[in-house]
Amino acid sequence: MAGELASPAAPPRIARGSSRRAAALRLLRRRLIQAVPLMLGVVVINFVLIQLAPGSFLELMTAENQVSDPATIELLRKTYGLDDPVWLQLVKYIWALMQFDFGFSYRQNRPVIDAISDHLPATLLLMISSITLALAVGVSAGVVASVKVRTFWDSLVSVAAMFFFAAPGFWLGIMLIVLFSVKLGWLPVGGMMTIGDRSGAAGGVLDILHHLILPTLALGLFYAAIYTRVMRSSMLEVAQLDFVRTARAKGLSRNQVTISHVLRNALLPVVTILGVQMGTVLAGSVVIESVFSWPGVGSLLFDSVSSRNYPVVLGIMVLGSLVVIAANIAVDLVYMWLDPRIEIR
Amino acid sequence: MVDRNRVTRRVFGAGVLATGLVGGAASGFAQGTPRRGGTLVATWGGGEPQACYVPAGGGSSPTFSSSKLFERLGNRAMDGQFQGELAESWKPAADFKSYIIKIRKGVKFHDGKDMTVDDVVYSISEIWKKYSAASALTDFTGVEAPDADTVVMTFSKPVPEFFFSSLLCGSVNYIVPKHVYAGSDPVTNPANNAPIATGPWKFKEWVRGSHFEYVKNENYWRKDMPYMDRLIIRYVRDPAGRAAAMEAGDIHIGVFNPVAPPDIKRLTATGKFVATPKGYEESVWSTTLECSMRNPVFAKREVRQAMFHAIDRNFLAKTIYYGYARPGTSPIYSPNKEFYTTDTFSTAFDPKKAAALLDAAGYPKKADGKRFAINLLAAGWFTENGKIGAYVKQALEDVGVAVNLSVPDRPTSIKRIYTDYDFDMAISNQANPSEPVPSTTQYFTTDGIKKGVPFRNANGYSNPEVDALVEKIKVETDPAKRKALVFQFQKIITTEAPLLPILELESITVASTRVQNHSNDPNYLAASWYDIWLAS
Repeated sequence: MAGELASPAAPPRIARGSSRRAAALRLLRRRLIQAVPLMLGVVVINFVLIQLAPGSFLELMTAENQVSDPATIELLRKTYGLDDPVWLQLVKYIWALMQFDFGFSYRQNRPVIDAISDHLPATLLLMISSITLALAVGVSAGVVASVKVRTFWDSLVSVAAMFFFAAPGFWLGIMLIVLFSVKLGWLPVGGMMTIGDRSGAAGGVLDILHHLILPTLALGLFYAAIYTRVMRSSMLEVAQLDFVRTARAKGLSRNQVTISHVLRNALLPVVTILGVQMGTVLAGSVVIESVFSWPGVGSLLFDSVSSRNYPVVLGIMVLGSLVVIAANIAVDLVYMWLDPRIEIR
Repeated sequence: MVDRNRVTRRVFGAGVLATGLVGGAASGFAQGTPRRGGTLVATWGGGEPQACYVPAGGGSSPTFSSSKLFERLGNRAMDGQFQGELAESWKPAADFKSYIIKIRKGVKFHDGKDMTVDDVVYSISEIWKKYSAASALTDFTGVEAPDADTVVMTFSKPVPEFFFSSLLCGSVNYIVPKHVYAGSDPVTNPANNAPIATGPWKFKEWVRGSHFEYVKNENYWRKDMPYMDRLIIRYVRDPAGRAAAMEAGDIHIGVFNPVAPPDIKRLTATGKFVATPKGYEESVWSTTLECSMRNPVFAKREVRQAMFHAIDRNFLAKTIYYGYARPGTSPIYSPNKEFYTTDTFSTAFDPKKAAALLDAAGYPKKADGKRFAINLLAAGWFTENGKIGAYVKQALEDVGVAVNLSVPDRPTSIKRIYTDYDFDMAISNQANPSEPVPSTTQYFTTDGIKKGVPFRNANGYSNPEVDALVEKIKVETDPAKRKALVFQFQKIITTEAPLLPILELESITVASTRVQNHSNDPNYLAASWYDIWLAS
């Protein structure tokens, strides 16, 4: 995965031309093979952890439906396969997963994949927009801070980064709502689109983007703060290296050196962190979705955990893990593209 | 026959609920000529339901979403009178063992089919008896339709008229379309997520995680109703988010404590919102404290009484609920004008008395200052329960009772209290209508002990005197005698103290001043909102 670099002691192997493509394919194949036991581990661990939690969806369901007849409860237990030993339930679940069957949510009376599909696009949209914002702001601010090191601009960027790093997401979200929605009335308070909006496809997209601004800021600025700090220190470190000095000696302008040589190499730690943080971005979206009533997987996960809706919880965990694994593979490939000297093991 | 005059005379007597409800009219009552059209956006103080309609009720959230679509045979007005909804009237036989219900004519389901007596018979026998009113219909023997306008319900024992009227008005005792539900499992019928019913609003869309969209039922049997074109039920998980959405004008009305108490004061101070406790008289919530009879310590009544004497309920109401609660004094709550009495045994705050009772019961303080230790479970479905638990722990420790407090989440609380009976004392909640049988009495009767069934008798209290008294209350058809029996029930329970409400919670509706005709039903969360409108 991202960050597993060749040892600094070993001479870097530089892949060229078609061999780079072959190396990328090798990497992809290796990562996909590694993903299988990883996914299996995710499924087993989550399944066991959920089994350890007190209370079950059957108890909650019979409670909500005021079912007291032991025979009915036993029938429901059999219907839902809860009378099987835990290991058999796990084997059945894994077997079903291999056939892309995520199970059935008896609480919602619909297949798990349908329940998640209703919510996943909203979460992916929020994640992608937040990461894009974080990268754009973090990289830009980090570059500015490093170029203007020990100036007012450097201090301003550092203070802002510290603030957004320290501010809890839910608090920042509420403050953004108070300022931009309640006081100024510029942006919607929450939701993903205007209810009953009939403005057509183009209008609908604009409407969603309008609703996306505040949750993206609330989620993305925390990560932007991290990327700013990492980018700044990375830029300063790379700027001291010999090849930069050589580039300057060859007469390249300061901007050319910064953009073409320093920036590209300084991006590597940011890309590493990006891969590692994909899971935390997904987790962070749970809180932000709650604040902004964003109809994503976070709200579904919250409800499902609260109601012990295990099939949905497991489904979200599995799909979430897939998203994180896919993102990490993409990060590895970006890594290779950024620095051809590096072959990720 | 239940028409407005007769019910007032027979069941309620003079005054009833009118005093104090209509008198201090909420600003939600209509002002001026109703304005037609527009969209009303509503929310409530909880999350999205598991299904739009749950035959057994399923909690407040599906009740809120389904009650705008479905209707009941009867309804209870703010003045306490029962009135027909899908029934035009009902009357008991001379022996009170059967009731004749006249069904309203000209009512159509949302799919255009006529509502008939077959739908009523199916709903009572297949939905009410099996799901929504199973615990109330223990003496039910059958239902039939002798003609196209009449349904007859029969019982093995006399059924009081107040009980029967309350049953017809039960919050989820809906009339469902037989042609949609017959031959299916009602619990898993897909129509539960896109209901077809008779109510003023027709289901249009459910955007999961966001909202329900309902549109006006053009064929609604109440002429020219509803006033508005669309009703949106929007779900906002975070109370602060709800407050912001209301302030920004995105949500017009929120029922059942939509925002935190400080935000209620802030919003109403703007003059653009009103907050009212009206509309919850038939679903009063309480915070209860109960002592498990399975722990020998609580076998002595004096010990149970001491636990309640140790707790300052006024302090809890003021500090934890910001004044939106009042001390509980009886298992029947104070807004219940039919059955509430102040003539009960008082376990008011008196730590010295608590200590004396514990001494007398044979539990003096030991060398370490403790008398005995208990496990206190505060059900974590309301945040406030945890805070109350922290206070109760301190209060009991002040009188020498060591307390191990736990605040598990909802599923764990339900399991530990109602399935595993894993507590010595438990802080929980109830919401009860005016009719005490069975919703209130099942917390105290022996037949209320049903392992695994929540919101019943979990503490194991069993008293033949109480069981016999409740059986009398169930079948006493004379309103005055029945009232006296319920008073007697309250006296015994407050003295015995196996479970008592320590707080009666004041639920609040917050609405924009533009919203008219709101909070005009004693169970407003479960009302159909057919007459609500939005001023310009």
